[in-house]
Amino acid sequence: MSDLQYHVRLSPGDVAPTVLLPGDPGRVPVVASLWDEAREVARNREYVTYTGTYRGAPISCTSTGIGAPSTAIALEELARAGATTFLRIGTCGAIQPHARVGDIAIFDSAIRADGASALYAPIEYPAVAHHDVVSASTLAAREIGLPHHVGTAFSTDLFYVPEPGAAFGGFEQSAWRERYADIGRTNALAAEMETSVLLVLCRIWGLRGGAVALISDAVADKDASGRFDPQATFEVGQEPMLRLARMGCEAARILRERS
Amino acid sequence: MSLQYHVQLREGDVAPSVLLPGDPGRVPLVASMWDESREVASNREYVTFTGTYRGVPISCTSTGIGCPSTAIAMEELARVGARTFVRIGTCGTFQDHVANGDIAIFDSAARYDGTSRLYAPIEFPAVASHDVVDAAIAAGRELGYATHVGTTRSADTFYAMHARPGSSFNDYWQSGWRDHFEDLKRLNVVAAEMEASVIFVLARVWGLRAGGVAVVLDNVLKVSGESGAFDPEDQFAHGGDEIERLARMGSETVRILAERDAAEAERATGPDTAIT
Repeated sequence: MSDLQYHVRLSPGDVAPTVLLPGDPGRVPVVASLWDEAREVARNREYVTYTGTYRGAPISCTSTGIGAPSTAIALEELARAGATTFLRIGTCGAIQPHARVGDIAIFDSAIRADGASALYAPIEYPAVAHHDVVSASTLAAREIGLPHHVGTAFSTDLFYVPEPGAAFGGFEQSAWRERYADIGRTNALAAEMETSVLLVLCRIWGLRGGAVALISDAVADKDASGRFDPQATFEVGQEPMLRLARMGCEAARILRERS
Repeated sequence: MSLQYHVQLREGDVAPSVLLPGDPGRVPLVASMWDESREVASNREYVTFTGTYRGVPISCTSTGIGCPSTAIAMEELARVGARTFVRIGTCGTFQDHVANGDIAIFDSAARYDGTSRLYAPIEFPAVASHDVVDAAIAAGRELGYATHVGTTRSADTFYAMHARPGSSFNDYWQSGWRDHFEDLKRLNVVAAEMEASVIFVLARVWGLRAGGVAVVLDNVLKVSGESGAFDPEDQFAHGGDEIERLARMGSETVRILAERDAAEAERATGPDTAIT
């Protein structure tokens, strides 16, 4: 086996033990701009990796692309290259009304509405974050003074959500009608697309995984016609993303300090 | 809230934090560790004692074996004011690095039970409250116990699903059972027991807190040996003080939680925030 990993184009030594995982490759240099020093170590498809140091501690950041399938590939290859702690930093849509746009969601667990994680572990198996990562993330949010909520992610393979009016051409299925209402009743905090597979893979490999996300919209937000328009409803400015990135870097630093 | 049908408790009968063993016979043993306690109810498999432990109000209610009776206990306890649930029980382990007598701290559960899926879809995680996990880790450290934080497999069976014929009566067996335990070992599952999944799912959907600690009695991959024969009476390691240690773990976890809750309330309403 070649040491160079097929998709992420990384070899052992290219990444720090702790890796931040945004979805969007465009956000990787933004995250790295907060570090003491950083360099791009790989770029291929949706996978961009920067490695450097943050407040003296080695750190990396790799984009996963959207969804559990590409995220699972990134994790498999990053683990082979030596990564042992993974923290997703992403965006999500609030399901609970008390979680506001601009707040931070800290995910201690996820609903496994994705396809990839079920191919690794039976669906009965929990998608649960490592408690060290939850602790460090909570402490980081507190230190920076960010409003935050700890709870369960609804990790789904669908962005154009299963709600009447969300899919193209008004396509809908009867089972979609109460889908989000039911998910909301389970106390799930926010919806996104990668956390479940991240938490399952880390748990079965004995590695540490966690996820934090900026709340960029409320899943219930729709325009007057009932349509879902992400361009109009999502407000992910540079400033909120930098706050999230700062929090991720701080959480990584706290984890390293404690171990 | 009126008298609850099965547990025979009313509002005021239980503390906000409740320890949940399976066996009603263990409730008085647990309560004997407290400053003071009294039996407040006893009906079917549900026995409840309430008292104080190191100054903190605490209750202990037995759930009986399995998720169906545990869900009934949780529903009724929540109605009379319970807000934090800590399961204290015994378990087997799938992992070689976990020794008999060690304490497993459950941060999550694999949902091999029937009841929890009647409440929430199977994709939903059975996850403990982070507060409870953290407090249990601190309790284990304080008491000097060997602890392991991880996932438990909560199943609706005690005798079925073992790797070889011999665990169920008359050597009844199914081929799909052969690799089940080995697969769970590969999944890094630490423990096997029968109640945590429904406790975690219910607490989470209700917005309450739950966690679980258990003393390890056997390695389920080794206990039935080559023959496949499974006799818990002979094969489980009962050192004698397991229940005492469990009672201490559970009670200390509740005390640490109460201490931290008070500090958090202080932080939220204290002078710092009053100024800003």
